[in-house]
Amino acid sequence: MSAAHFRQWLLPAVLIAALAALPFLGNAYLVTFTFTILIAYILGQSWDWVSGEMGYVNLGHYCFYGVGAYVFSIALVAHYPALFAMLVAAAITILIAVAVAVPLFRLHGDYFAFATLALLPLAEILAFNLTSITNGGDGIVLPIQSVLKASYLIALGVCVLAFFSTVWINSIRFGYALKSIRNDEEVAEVLGVRILPIKIKVLALSAAFASLAGAIQSWQMSYIDPPTVFGLNVALIPIAMVLLGGSGLRWGPLVGVIVLACIQQWLLVNIQSLQATVYGAIILLIGRFMPGGILRAPWLRNSRWFGALSQEHHEYIVEEKSGNKASTADTLPLPAIQVNRSKPLLECENLRMEFGGNVAVDNVNLKIMEGEIVGLIGPNGSGKTTLFNCISRVFDPTAGRIRLAGKDLSELRRDEIARLGVGRTHQIPRPFNDLTVQENIAIPLMFHDTKLSSQQAFLQAREFVAYAELEHRLTSRADSLSLQEKKALEFARALACKPKLLLVDEVASGLASSEVMRFVEHIRHVRDRYGITVIWVEHIFSALAQVVDRVVVLEQGAVIADGTLNEVVTNERVLESYLGGTVARAH
Amino acid sequence: MTVDVIIQVLIGGVLLGGVYALVAFGLSLIYGIVRILNFAHGTLLAVSGVVASLIYASYHLHPVFIALLLAAATFVFGYLFYMALLHPLGRRNHFESTVGTVLVTVGALLMLSDITAVMAGATQRNIQLDFEAFEIGAIVVSSAQVKILLGITGLMLAIHLLLTRTWFGRALRAVTENRVGALICGVNSTRLKALTFAFGSTTVAIAGVLYAISFPVSPYMGFGLTVKAFTIVVVGGVGNLRGALLAGILLGVAESMTSLLWKPEWAPALSMILMLLILVAKPQGFGKKSA
Repeated sequence: MSAAHFRQWLLPAVLIAALAALPFLGNAYLVTFTFTILIAYILGQSWDWVSGEMGYVNLGHYCFYGVGAYVFSIALVAHYPALFAMLVAAAITILIAVAVAVPLFRLHGDYFAFATLALLPLAEILAFNLTSITNGGDGIVLPIQSVLKASYLIALGVCVLAFFSTVWINSIRFGYALKSIRNDEEVAEVLGVRILPIKIKVLALSAAFASLAGAIQSWQMSYIDPPTVFGLNVALIPIAMVLLGGSGLRWGPLVGVIVLACIQQWLLVNIQSLQATVYGAIILLIGRFMPGGILRAPWLRNSRWFGALSQEHHEYIVEEKSGNKASTADTLPLPAIQVNRSKPLLECENLRMEFGGNVAVDNVNLKIMEGEIVGLIGPNGSGKTTLFNCISRVFDPTAGRIRLAGKDLSELRRDEIARLGVGRTHQIPRPFNDLTVQENIAIPLMFHDTKLSSQQAFLQAREFVAYAELEHRLTSRADSLSLQEKKALEFARALACKPKLLLVDEVASGLASSEVMRFVEHIRHVRDRYGITVIWVEHIFSALAQVVDRVVVLEQGAVIADGTLNEVVTNERVLESYLGGTVARAH
Repeated sequence: MTVDVIIQVLIGGVLLGGVYALVAFGLSLIYGIVRILNFAHGTLLAVSGVVASLIYASYHLHPVFIALLLAAATFVFGYLFYMALLHPLGRRNHFESTVGTVLVTVGALLMLSDITAVMAGATQRNIQLDFEAFEIGAIVVSSAQVKILLGITGLMLAIHLLLTRTWFGRALRAVTENRVGALICGVNSTRLKALTFAFGSTTVAIAGVLYAISFPVSPYMGFGLTVKAFTIVVVGGVGNLRGALLAGILLGVAESMTSLLWKPEWAPALSMILMLLILVAKPQGFGKKSA
């Protein structure tokens, strides 16, 4: 362990030791107060895994706290040992979380927030009405024990576990899956991230911690009833605390919990009435003036003493190898694919995609040979992007069959298709906006090769970044890039899927001619050097013409021409519908 | 149990549902136009209900007059609240503006209910109108119920006319339907949002008076109503007056019937179960038809 390492861990270690010593030294008031902070931190941090990191605002998080409290209390009343009761509480809460995860995660955005919010009053009513289990409104009285010390120490343990879990989650593949889901779920899937199990796991994890918080606190309070563990007014407080500190930041939940808890305590002592009003006013003002949380406020970010606190989770940069400028195009960590030009890589048979009565792809039959570069052209709305979306399964085709290297894709999910070797770009670049360039590329890498550690993925990502000539932007957030840089990133990220088939959607449009030329070179290069088959949708026909082996023309969803460049540019129907009158008139 | 009792309860359910619909419609408008989840919405009903019953108890003003008074006050309050606290957040990035609005509305919720509780006491109260009963066969309808029915119908009609016959209403519907298109056509979005927020607050304040006539109100009851209103928005469609009315009445009747035919303690669970079932069956919610 190096000196720097040692220093880094010294402060937390001392802090934890001091907190652990508190119940033996401090007075009961201080211990109780610290205890409430610990509980609030467990709740807030576990909420932030789902909401801050994955971007699903779970307003019903407190339910898990309540379930934990009830299961624990019932088990304790039935004379099970406390630790065992806690484990049972966590286990049952995890089961419930897994059961609700599947239907809940069908929802997105505000609807997810609505639905989770409704869980709270529902749980409260259940607790009131299922009297045979919960004792209804009378609540449950736990056996009288003096457990302040024990509950405090357990809470501290869980708290420390929650903090280090956060740090750990953010350094592994799982954490990057959460971040990619937060940014753009659909893109995450077509890059090879399987999202449903990730969502279920993170909800289960978050539920387990919340239920432990509930169990520990009910043990300490020795009495629970429905409003104290499911009440709407208490339920939103931990969330407000995290938002106040800075959701999604490493220290955000902790800072928010401490600040708000201290304010709450101060109010309790110093103000006789209108405490909730002052409390509400503070929350309101923070929302109005520091909506990203205290730690995202510019003055704090730039301050010398506290700047380190506003550290984002994602500054994971591998320093070594930065001197190695030789990482040119030839050293991309891609497998060189043996190309057999007479073997079809992609086959579409009678592929059809309808939206209501609108036929976007009309019985397309298409065969793309290994190592081919095929230009896909057609007027706007002719179904080019829809065809891509069918291949990468963003849409479920209405009818027909798609095969990749002989394998039927119809039963596969988006992420499976991606891992099978389909990489794609989007017409309008869709980078993961709040992640760095390096992270954007590392995500597909770590999900395509599960043996790759995230550190190795970051190293490999540098090669792709160099290839895209974005080295100077390595640690920039993707949303700060120019259009041209975003397109370069999008292309490099698609390559990082290690594709056999690359679907390129209008990567050159809107760029200067020198930039267009660069993409032409790139596309030629990835085919020649790595044997990647390319389908390129592009309106800049002059660019396309320099590199394609074959051109396929779509009109109103149907293939109207399929042949060499010369065949297509002389095809009457193509001239009429797409390439336009000027060429036609020249005849 | 006779048919009469069922009809009797049905009438109560329809009235309750009508009030729910009014609450939900304000929320729905605000959500459709301003894109804000206003957590303080139901609390505004609770506060205006309490204030209305206080005014009625001490000055014996006519409820219609109280409603007008409160409507004006909440309109100004809503407008200023939006301009001072919510509008500036729109300039922030998506994450910060979402989080900011949650904090602002939750903060407002806590403040509103606490101030009301301190000023008026946390007890339940309502507007005690003179009781006059009309008997139709074995069914008894109180004069208060008739007045509430009149109030709901009148308000719904007024909202409908406002939405269909005025420029404000057309702008509202245009923005709900196609935000960008409407803005390109020259709809002033800031003013429209502020007016919508104010208007939504006004409807809920009037709903508060109607609510207080038939049911007890208390400062802390608001949040439960907000949840119910969310349910109705989800079921009825964002910005959809007819949808909100139908969903509200459905909910009110379902709650009353559950109380009557099964157990009253399960009635409040209906709205959440309904919302969850519908969301899970139709994750995108129902299409946003315009009002």
